[in-house]
Amino acid sequence: MFHKILIANRAEIALRIIRAARELGIETVAVHSTADANSLHVKFADESLCIGPPPSKESYLNIPAILSAAEVSGADAIHPGYGFLSENAEFAEMVQHSGLGWIGPRPEMIRMMGNKVRAKEAMKEAGLPQLPGSEGVVRDERELGRLAEKVGFPVILKAAAGGGGRGMKIVREREQLVQMYRTASAEALAAFGNGDMYVERYVEHPRHIEIQIVADEHGDIVHFGERECSVQRRHQKMLEESPSPALNEKLRERMGRVAVEAMKKIRYNNVGTIEFLLDERGDFFFMEMNTRIQVEHPVTESVTGIDLLKEQIRLAAGEELGRTQKSIALRGHAIELRINAEDPVTFAPSPGLITAYHAPGGLGVRVDSVAYEQYRVLPFYDSMVAKMIVTADSRPAAIMRARRALREYVVEGIKTNIPFHKRLLQFEPFVQGRYDTRTVERLLAEAPPPAG
Amino acid sequence: MDVEKLRAILAALEGTEVTRLDWTNGQERLTLRMGHPPAPVTALHAATAAQSAPLALPTPPQVTPVSPAAAAPAAVPAARDNTFTVNSPFVGTFYRAASPDNPAFAEVGQVVKKGQVLCIVEAMKLMNEIEAEQPGRLVEALIQNGSPVEYGEPLFRFEPV
Repeated sequence: MFHKILIANRAEIALRIIRAARELGIETVAVHSTADANSLHVKFADESLCIGPPPSKESYLNIPAILSAAEVSGADAIHPGYGFLSENAEFAEMVQHSGLGWIGPRPEMIRMMGNKVRAKEAMKEAGLPQLPGSEGVVRDERELGRLAEKVGFPVILKAAAGGGGRGMKIVREREQLVQMYRTASAEALAAFGNGDMYVERYVEHPRHIEIQIVADEHGDIVHFGERECSVQRRHQKMLEESPSPALNEKLRERMGRVAVEAMKKIRYNNVGTIEFLLDERGDFFFMEMNTRIQVEHPVTESVTGIDLLKEQIRLAAGEELGRTQKSIALRGHAIELRINAEDPVTFAPSPGLITAYHAPGGLGVRVDSVAYEQYRVLPFYDSMVAKMIVTADSRPAAIMRARRALREYVVEGIKTNIPFHKRLLQFEPFVQGRYDTRTVERLLAEAPPPAG
Repeated sequence: MDVEKLRAILAALEGTEVTRLDWTNGQERLTLRMGHPPAPVTALHAATAAQSAPLALPTPPQVTPVSPAAAAPAAVPAARDNTFTVNSPFVGTFYRAASPDNPAFAEVGQVVKKGQVLCIVEAMKLMNEIEAEQPGRLVEALIQNGSPVEYGEPLFRFEPV
């Protein structure tokens, strides 16, 4: 087992790692920028080292400074948390070449999944279902017709040179296909200088379902069930829950089984998350894989009763998994709300000094945060102030508990998205569990927030 | 006001808890600020601070500035007098000499020129020579030879010459 872990991260995830390490009897070294000197992750670690000025590039992304800090502090492993250097294969390699333990998947896994095209190819080969569509660009109208029939309507036409939602057309009727293809291709040619198009199945109500993978260094792999992360705004997750209201036992078993089989084929190690798109028919497709611990890992911890960070650390140290798939059961229901320093209506960041702070408590309420009264939310880093996780026997009880806990949450001096969450927890599609990745859009369009 | 009078006032304030004095006499106005600026109050929330955490490193409060403007690692004027410090530009191991057999680059009392090597901070097996950015007389070496240093940690105290 490791003796001293250096945490190459900040704020709540750094504190989360400190807590896990301490319960394992491992010492911790916090690194921080000058701006983070008063952060709780610095105060609660056994040791701390200032590694640079506020900009991430010069501190939390500063590889020489972090490796140097590991050296002078005598750490024997590095935990990268999420974000920053957590999915940087070169950094993982340098850590390993320095003779330090890397608490994460092997660099080659990070590299494979970091390249979206390679990841899709590898996962297709490993047996994960892919969103049906053209393998490459559509060659002609005859091929287009054949592909569209195979994929099934509606389909989406995407400009090969487009991106970020531009150059896309949804075709719902077979009769419109050729005409819309010609228009889209001409538009793409005019806009991007390239008229090449892809065709893909269009999912009207996509849900974001991800499977938590836990693997040891010896080839033993299990999954810890799913998390639903469909509550998103501009691809930013706002709320996650487990289990997903969209899955039944059979679908859960199937998604978990194919995920674990694929991971065994590529000999995945440590923790990771496979993201799937789930359509209205219950078909699911591989989207991408995150080769790190996720922000939303606490919902899985709440329903499995297993500390994922401790699991990640002990597995990285070479310990055996020692769990069977059968022993992993989801009990009750957990919901995580990300509390961000942002305007609840415009979503503009709202950094600044927290002048009053009271975190909710009581049965089934967990708050992972480094916030306190007089803590300053800094403009240099992301705006997440806290994660509030509620756990209860059932989904309705968890929603009631989340509403109750939000009423106790006091954050003054900065704006937060707590009012948004209060609205969301009353929004009928969410309450019914019938929502998808476009539900937030609909909520914001339908129900203007009350004045004040 | 003459120097003697100022000295007398300073002597009277020495050892007291006074941190600021505003004094007016006809046309004469005097403002004195004593000691370090007060450390930021970190009132921890009861739920998160059941025990108060030990600060891991013996870091003086002035090396943990919160504003980016104050975070410059180079020469920083000391709060109390006209001396200034030379701070570490990165995290690493501090050495006062090129090797254990060599004399220190700079001794206390010595006057250094701009650009003169003061010490070495080793990071990633690289020996980085730290140079004086302005001339001065070395008043105090603040770090033990061979100790780890943080980004921005004061290494030496100088007075201008």
